[in-house]
Amino acid sequence: MHELGVVFEVIKTVKNFVDKNDLTKVDTIVLQIGELSSMIPKYIHECFPAAIDGTEFEETKLVIEIIPAAAICKGCKHVFNIIKHKSQCPECESLEWGMLTGKEFSIKEVIAC
Amino acid sequence: MKNFKILEIKEGIFDNNNKEADLLRAELKQQNNLLINLMSSPGSGKTTTLVSTINALKDEMKIGVMEADIDSDVDAHTIANTGTKVIQLHTGGMCHLDAEMTKQGLEGLGSEGLDLTILENVGNLVCPAEFDTGAAKNVMILSVPEGDDKPLKYPLMFSICDVLLINKIDAMGFFDFDLEAATTRVKKLNPNIKVFPISAKTGEGVEAWTNWLRGAVKDWQES
Repeated sequence: MHELGVVFEVIKTVKNFVDKNDLTKVDTIVLQIGELSSMIPKYIHECFPAAIDGTEFEETKLVIEIIPAAAICKGCKHVFNIIKHKSQCPECESLEWGMLTGKEFSIKEVIAC
Repeated sequence: MKNFKILEIKEGIFDNNNKEADLLRAELKQQNNLLINLMSSPGSGKTTTLVSTINALKDEMKIGVMEADIDSDVDAHTIANTGTKVIQLHTGGMCHLDAEMTKQGLEGLGSEGLDLTILENVGNLVCPAEFDTGAAKNVMILSVPEGDDKPLKYPLMFSICDVLLINKIDAMGFFDFDLEAATTRVKKLNPNIKVFPISAKTGEGVEAWTNWLRGAVKDWQES
């Protein structure tokens, strides 16, 4: 499964962060996933227990924040959701736009002590 | 009650691997070793293509091969028959190689003094596209029986590759494979990609590909 290797990568990054900052316990890991990223949040959640099994993060919770696929129209500067409006500006119907957010795939923060 | 607080990380999930990959690339540059990451679906003819590539170039440069598979070593045996240095890497169930595994593989292979190292990645068009291995060039093989619509299904893989080998062109008559349509679809995703139609079995088109590879090694060592 595609998401599994990625979740292992998340755990690796968090482990580095924990070691570097002398943390003892991670309560929650918060990820940000854009609507247009290639990752499916449901599968990330399903793979997570396998990735933390037998590690120091066995009791750690996972939270995923979804970032909307937002674009700004090059014509009228209207900001709209790319998926909802099928890649077309709902104001002026232009197809020329720049992406603002939606491809994110990052670790936002951890709640830890 | 423990004193939990929120700590910002703000790191892309692939950042760590990307950093390791950049370090490895710089190291390989120092050693004049061109690392090629070869990717494809299972059964596209990666190993056969490798054998014909090695046979064309082995008299003029030192080549090493790393075979990555979830299990087994049948491919490594086939490559070893060409007289080339080869190592089998087992990913232990993982569907791709990352930079750290590649680095360990190079150490196991003993890559010093090599001009060209080819990493045969796990047969898979999804995960290997996300993980930078530290290779200087990414090459993928699409074989005729897979269909000319593959670029539409796996856009990321086609976007990150420098070269596309369209293999098994000797079987074109048996399949509805439109070479022009496939090339157009790939170029739309990645205008800079080089496309070489080949038949690793008959040798057709292989020379154009090995000429490119010879040039890439030269550029890597001289630039």
